[in-house]
Amino acid sequence: MEATIEVSDLRKTYGSTVALDGMTFTVTPGRVTAFVGPNGAGKSTTMRVVLGLDRVDAGTALIGGRPYRSLRTPLRHVGALLDASALHPARSGRDHLLWQAHSQGLGAPRVDEVLRLTGLADVGRRRAGGYSLGMRQRLGVAGALLGDPPVLMLDEPFNGLDPEGIRWMRGFLRALAAEGRAVLVSSHLMSELQDTAGHLVVVGRGKVVADTSVADLIAAASADRVTLRTIARTEAMTALAERGATVAVTDRDTLTVDGLPADQVVTVLSQASVPFSEISAHRATLEEAYMELTRDAVEFRATEVAG
Amino acid sequence: MGTALHAEWTKLRTVAGPYWLVATAAVLTAGLSAATVAAVTCADTGCGLDAPRIALTGVQIGQAVVAVLAVMVVGDEYRTGMIRTTLAAVPSRVAVLAAKGVVVAGATLAAAVPGVLGAWLAGRLIMPGQGFTAAHGYAPLSLTDGPTLRAVAGSVLYLTLVALLSLGLAAAVRDAPTGVGVVLGVLYLAPILAAVVSDPDWERRLRQITPSTAGLSVQHTLDVASLPIGPWPGLGVLALWAAGALLLGGLLLRFRDA
Repeated sequence: MEATIEVSDLRKTYGSTVALDGMTFTVTPGRVTAFVGPNGAGKSTTMRVVLGLDRVDAGTALIGGRPYRSLRTPLRHVGALLDASALHPARSGRDHLLWQAHSQGLGAPRVDEVLRLTGLADVGRRRAGGYSLGMRQRLGVAGALLGDPPVLMLDEPFNGLDPEGIRWMRGFLRALAAEGRAVLVSSHLMSELQDTAGHLVVVGRGKVVADTSVADLIAAASADRVTLRTIARTEAMTALAERGATVAVTDRDTLTVDGLPADQVVTVLSQASVPFSEISAHRATLEEAYMELTRDAVEFRATEVAG
Repeated sequence: MGTALHAEWTKLRTVAGPYWLVATAAVLTAGLSAATVAAVTCADTGCGLDAPRIALTGVQIGQAVVAVLAVMVVGDEYRTGMIRTTLAAVPSRVAVLAAKGVVVAGATLAAAVPGVLGAWLAGRLIMPGQGFTAAHGYAPLSLTDGPTLRAVAGSVLYLTLVALLSLGLAAAVRDAPTGVGVVLGVLYLAPILAAVVSDPDWERRLRQITPSTAGLSVQHTLDVASLPIGPWPGLGVLALWAAGALLLGGLLLRFRDA
């Protein structure tokens, strides 16, 4: 089976509210695809539709080319984490995984294996009701891994994680993608997926706003932008502005220069005898690139509200 | 279906709630029966009392507990949101509901068999001392007596069908408190409504179709020909209610968003 999630022209309304308005994208194997957008953009609804939990008015959602409800042992095809808190508080984490394993014809050895993989081996026999949100997220990921599926779909797995947990989750997701799995991770905070996501699907109001590779996006956002460290801030700004660059102060001794490549910045500063201690091509963070990407959409929305 | 059943059985046995409810149902069924037989006396020949039916009175309280057990099997999953994990693991709604039905029936039998046998035993041991003697025309309750066996076995089946009815209704309403309310209303309020109807024809008709009243006809051993509905047909009416509730719950589970 090919490891893909194919979502095609999903449409769904709740009463007069449009939840999905032609949602279309494909998740391919070998990389983490970030599924990003504000709360209420349709991320969770899309995931529930993929799992056959919610019906749609139109459109299809396929896992490896097949509708979810046609899969006999679905957890061997796709592992999903929708809501980490959806568990019986009196049942132990291990037993919560055990019933899911039994539903796929798997046994206790696999349960203990995924508990070890997610660092829960020591707490597996405790009541899940006493787990922190971070432990529940790990338990949810453990459940998603039970069937060793080629496709993973995680809804806000970073919620409730401490910095150490976030680091762990990022590394874990990268490793899963590196094994050739298709990994779809939703988040409303772009920064969580820094250095993790290889592809980006941005959604708003029930449809895809942008579908792009993260490398391209960051390159575009970083283009012709230089970070400059200098003690002579004013002189540097004057010299660069005369040559048509846009200069912004980012710190006490740091400037960001737009519209002039790094080698020309060096030439200009040398000619004007402005001292500087460091100059580097600026690399946009994923968050900056995302903000750039969605700025137009946000402005449009602001105008619309104002009008 | 086999794996779905395995999963539901694992769910049921890995929390304490069902064990307590099974034990409570058994103890209350036998206990209320023992208390009832200890309070009823037969003073004379022809006191006209239906001894097996009196001994099985506890079923009337045991049914509330098995109903709660059945409602919880579905209601707990909706309360916690775990139903989505269940339906993701087993996409066939029919398989999920069938598996839940089997484990609910099994757990109910685990409560009903000891509870009902305990009730019978209480009747057999206590009733002779209460005037239910050979002199007054009563033999000790015996399972070799056809009508007594029918009442005892029928009570076990009655409790099982009540549990399945509750499961179906719980799947339809998706919320444990509402589910318990609806089920207890069906079991206890419907007979009261039937009783306050003044027209005797309508009262008889309502008694024939009310799930608890019709179902409990199976406990009668005296003068069954004059009952609104016979013992086995009465239990059949309850079985139809249970089947209808499961069908309703199953259809809603299939066509509603989880």
